[in-house]
Amino acid sequence: MLNEKPTLKSTGKALLYLLPMLVITITFNIYPIIKSFIMSFYTKYDFFRDIVSQYGFDNFKFLFSDPDFHIAVKNTLIFVVGVVPLTVIISLAVALLLNRITWLSGLFRTVYFLPFVTSTVAIAQVWHWIYNSDYGLLNYFLGFFGVNAISWLESPRYAMLALIIMSVWKNLGFNIVLFLVGLNNINERYYQAAKIDGANSWHQFTNVTVPLLSPITFLVSVNGVIGSFKVFDEIFALFNGTPGPSKSALTIVYYLYQKFYTEWKYGIAAASGVVLFFMILLVTMFQLWYSKRHVHY
Amino acid sequence: MEVTFKDVSLSYDGSREILHHLNFTIPEGTLVSILGPSGCGKSTTLMMISGLLAPTSGQIFFGDEDVTKQDALQRKVGMVFQNYALYPHLNVLDNIMFPLKMAKVPKPERKKKAIELAKLVHIEDQLDKKPGSLSGGQQQRVAIARALAKEPSLLLLDEPLSNLDARLRIEMRQEIRRIQQETGVTTIFVTHDQDEALHISDHIMVLNSGQIQQFSSAETLYDNPSNLFVAQFIGEPVINTLDIADFGDELKGQIDTELLKRTQKVGIRPEALQDHDTGAETLATITTKVKTFEKFGREKNALLDFNGKRLLTTEIEAEIAEGQELPLYLQKSGFYLFDQDGTRIFGGDQDA
Ligand SMILES: Nc1ncnc2c1ncn2[C@@H]1O[C@H](COP(=O)(O)OP(=O)(O)OP(=O)(O)O)[C@@H](O)[C@H]1O
Ligand SMILES: [Mg+2]
Repeated sequence: MLNEKPTLKSTGKALLYLLPMLVITITFNIYPIIKSFIMSFYTKYDFFRDIVSQYGFDNFKFLFSDPDFHIAVKNTLIFVVGVVPLTVIISLAVALLLNRITWLSGLFRTVYFLPFVTSTVAIAQVWHWIYNSDYGLLNYFLGFFGVNAISWLESPRYAMLALIIMSVWKNLGFNIVLFLVGLNNINERYYQAAKIDGANSWHQFTNVTVPLLSPITFLVSVNGVIGSFKVFDEIFALFNGTPGPSKSALTIVYYLYQKFYTEWKYGIAAASGVVLFFMILLVTMFQLWYSKRHVHY
Repeated sequence: MEVTFKDVSLSYDGSREILHHLNFTIPEGTLVSILGPSGCGKSTTLMMISGLLAPTSGQIFFGDEDVTKQDALQRKVGMVFQNYALYPHLNVLDNIMFPLKMAKVPKPERKKKAIELAKLVHIEDQLDKKPGSLSGGQQQRVAIARALAKEPSLLLLDEPLSNLDARLRIEMRQEIRRIQQETGVTTIFVTHDQDEALHISDHIMVLNSGQIQQFSSAETLYDNPSNLFVAQFIGEPVINTLDIADFGDELKGQIDTELLKRTQKVGIRPEALQDHDTGAETLATITTKVKTFEKFGREKNALLDFNGKRLLTTEIEAEIAEGQELPLYLQKSGFYLFDQDGTRIFGGDQDA
């Protein structure tokens, strides 16, 4: 029943249904999260015997004074701010175009979706060639406009830009598909009503398409923000296992990876993870708050 | 604004034609109803007038201007859609104000106008709600207010009252009629409710399977139906329809033999079957057998058997018993003959 009051019995029944999933979630999601939270407070830790002799805030103090971590936070923020808006705008624009053309639209959809089903390593290999300073396609094209060859992957100035361009491109496929679904769900009758009410194409876009698409835009941007904060494999693959020239593409997760796997500083790695967690939480909460006022379901 | 269709045909998919060679003129300042069964092409006709749909062939004129090539933006008509099509993300007030916003009317003026219109359609207490939390009837009224907001010179209403209860429906149709007469806006009103069409309109266009059956005043439709479809579609209770073969010699001598030869169907309005001789008005006499007789309120319906066919009359004055034999007097007015194409060949004013 739709308006049934929860009782002890119905709650117990619901729990029973949820049990299998709960067991899996608790073991593989909840427990590690709690564990890594606790780990970020380990200050003296014997890894081999799993003995913690002291807890404290030393890991966080270290992070706040570590210039590498500062770089990582800054780069992460630049990456998020660069990737998310571009992804939203470009994929919306492409989706609008694809929605208009009927000719070969199936082919175009497939083409745009390909990056999503291709492995990041393979994509990075392709972009490696595109970015190649001597033979790369990108410099070749820029040459037409009189731009001198840029060493995209070797110069600290351009490495972040190269990373952002590749990531946006990789994100497009899936987000275009999401936007296409959203566009298809907008009933033609709203456009008809808008035309009758005197709305030209632009006003139809701003008064019908944008508001009615806002749930998808919200989904795409939240998804994009979370994914971008966690960026790692693109960097690893594009810069051959380094955080870019002179740490120009060092992000928080890359920092975490270095601390954990190469320096074996588990406490610091966990602490940086906790900082990342709160950054994502903060931004997502802001997005949620914003969506309450501007997203129309 | 006068609306003229010249030989307009429409096909959605290029193979099946929905509307066939429509020709009509809707005079300026009148309220015209388009009446017809579901799927006959009423909404499609409105969409072509609004400019949302282009005719496959033929021309559309607003006054003297050929608007066939103009789109909805240029034609500037007001329209209430059959499915309301209110903007789901805007509240009632913003929905009503939207056409004014597009027309760049200053905000305070917009709001004042919208509230006036909301009062007119009795939704002034719902202004802050989103369409999703309104009842069907309330949504319809918002849609009417929105269509009126921009004071169009042509107002198209696609079954704007279908979701209202009986009383509100009558109130709203009087309101629409009042607004129409006050403003003189040419209005085209789609409905499949004949009662509504009869009450509200100056002229009624009866449409069936993409063809205009008859375009005339309500009275003419009833008294002089041009064919069997119109005769059957207009009138409550429905006209009695018999085959000419059901009659024996009852009509012989009363009607021209040549006509009787061409006749396929006979239509008799329920009030054209009297239980007493009316003298000169009586066309013929038939003998029937009473099957049932029901009385409620002012209605008296007698169901009769005539040579194995059912007849309904509303005119029985005397007390009658079921199973009894009853002679009935066929009246001249309300008696029609139709040929094999369904065209009326006898009855109506021509034979009065
Ligand atoms: N978009 C469309 N594409 C193809 N065929 C359509 C479309 N819209 C309507 N039709 C067809 O055109 C015919 C007329 O439809 P229309 O909507 O004009 O009927 P209507 O008279 O308004 O009916 P109702 O009283 O049920 O609203 C129907 O046979 C319908 O199936
Ligand atoms: Mg319709």
